[in-house]
Amino acid sequence: MTNLDRRQFLGSSLIVGAAVITPDMALAGATPPGWALGVADVEADIPRETLTLIQGKVPAELSTTLFRNGPAKFRRGNSASGHWFDGDGLVRRWKVQDGKATLAARFVDTPKRRLETKLNAIVQPGFGSPRRDGAVINGPDDTNAANTSVLVNGGQLYALWEGGSATMLDAATLETQGPKTFRRDLKQMPFSAHPRVDSDGTVWNFGGNGESTFIWKLNPNGSLAKAEMIALDRKSYFHDFTATARHLIFVLQPWVQEEFKFPLSTGMVWKPEMGTQVLVVDKDDFSKRRVFELPAFSFFHLADGWEEKDGTIRFDGCLEANPTFGQKSASALIRGEHIKAPTPMLTQIVLHSNGKAEMKATRIAAEFPSSDRRVAGRARRFTTHVTGYRSTPFPHAIAVWDWQKGRDYKHDFGSNQLVEEFLFVANGAAENDGWLIGTTLNLKSQKTELHLLNAAKLSDGPVATWQASLPLPLGFHGTVA
Amino acid sequence: MNQFKSIFIAIAMTGVSFSAAAIAQDNNATLTLNFTGIAEQQGSVMGVLVDSEDAYNDKAAPVRMIMIKADKAEIATQLAGLKPGRYAIKSFHDIDGDGAMGTNPYGMPIEPFAFSNNAVGNMGPAKWVDASFEIKAGDNSHSIEIK
Repeated sequence: MTNLDRRQFLGSSLIVGAAVITPDMALAGATPPGWALGVADVEADIPRETLTLIQGKVPAELSTTLFRNGPAKFRRGNSASGHWFDGDGLVRRWKVQDGKATLAARFVDTPKRRLETKLNAIVQPGFGSPRRDGAVINGPDDTNAANTSVLVNGGQLYALWEGGSATMLDAATLETQGPKTFRRDLKQMPFSAHPRVDSDGTVWNFGGNGESTFIWKLNPNGSLAKAEMIALDRKSYFHDFTATARHLIFVLQPWVQEEFKFPLSTGMVWKPEMGTQVLVVDKDDFSKRRVFELPAFSFFHLADGWEEKDGTIRFDGCLEANPTFGQKSASALIRGEHIKAPTPMLTQIVLHSNGKAEMKATRIAAEFPSSDRRVAGRARRFTTHVTGYRSTPFPHAIAVWDWQKGRDYKHDFGSNQLVEEFLFVANGAAENDGWLIGTTLNLKSQKTELHLLNAAKLSDGPVATWQASLPLPLGFHGTVA
Repeated sequence: MNQFKSIFIAIAMTGVSFSAAAIAQDNNATLTLNFTGIAEQQGSVMGVLVDSEDAYNDKAAPVRMIMIKADKAEIATQLAGLKPGRYAIKSFHDIDGDGAMGTNPYGMPIEPFAFSNNAVGNMGPAKWVDASFEIKAGDNSHSIEIK
């Protein structure tokens, strides 16, 4: 065992006792802090249950399904995941129909989960987890946690992770069907957790980063349209990318992969002196590319972009001064520790046709940006985001930023609620004419809640709130279908 | 990801450097070799039989090259005239019939592969110590699940 492995291993095992959360401990407000319920373990799949409407009235016409994914199993035996990003993916299906809401959730049945269940130990390496005795790695999908997002394309539901195949799930039962191979020679090619979906249903995605990244284009019917490797000028780590109607946009932050080792994040070095580059690639001809220079920033998530008549490109993202969250804080969460990291700030990036780039700050803390999918790739006025970062590591409010008026419309759920990603469900023709649907973890009642808000009247609070029978750890990303 | 690159290509490469080994008269062992678990019944299973750790690690020539038509879920071949001793087998299922272990654009193997003893590698081929087995005088049999 190398020093690094040893340190990671000891570090993880020391905390296991403290990190196992029982409702009693959390209720008593004892160590670990109440927010640690957000990174607690789920022991089994959750059969379909009808939720309890605890507030408001359900719009009779509303019929929608919110699929969400997120890590929900971090600890086994005397070992624990080394990072929030490395737990086993639990796919949740929140369904609202005929005035009623239901929840069902099922773990993605991955080789990692099967091996670790058998060994009763966390052994597979990941973003922030070391490779431990008993690990078996013969390809990216052996470490695939399938825990980051979901996609529905051509009627198929997928669980997504960033380093391996998309995993096919049965949308009705949430049963795992196996890794998706889009073409024989593309077996185990990474398909990232942040596809961009055009308004016609065409999916663009990337896979892998370093010297190159792999670009995927899927037709609305689910078939493969294009699959091609493109070279990158620097070995940046990036978790997300964005697109306009005509371009793919890669933000190459100066968080660079110096070497390949486990945990993966320990091979990545923050080099702010390099600044941040933005690579713009033509969707129709990947050899047509432009590079823009910006001051150094780090990021995980971007929102959809668009181009204007004069060629100006705009998109927004949740930018951080440095990658402390990914490097340290997200590991500490699993140990029940809160290490302060720079707050992600909603910022618009403007790429001018003369080659100059600029950043327009909003001074709004924001993460998990989302928008009305009907205007994907076109000029857009609103960005939905979580906000309200206070004493816990997690946000407490949901908001919609209005780029035209330069103001944020917000609903704060209060200090007892940890807020997850909210997504837009259309109910009218205009942008943002519809609902926002999303979940929170109520630390007081120890239950997860599903909320529906009127996107245009956010400050009125939820139109309807349902309560599940149990708490679920915080998830990452979802999709509405 | 680069770690995975080319690790397995060596299996296919070995065939190129293979030269038919002379069969000595006192070599009296026979190996019946079975491959099971063939999911896609097309192309062939290709492999090498080696008799030393050096040969296993591509530093010496293999004893035999194996090529069996993969037209059933279970296929077999017989290797006669072997000298009793310690051996190992590295194999892959050449589904597309191009004679090489196929890889994806990041260099990951995309055709099934297996080692004798069904030994499993870890970020690379299985090791000689795990894959080697004894061939005795007379009849021997060995079965490998290829997936």
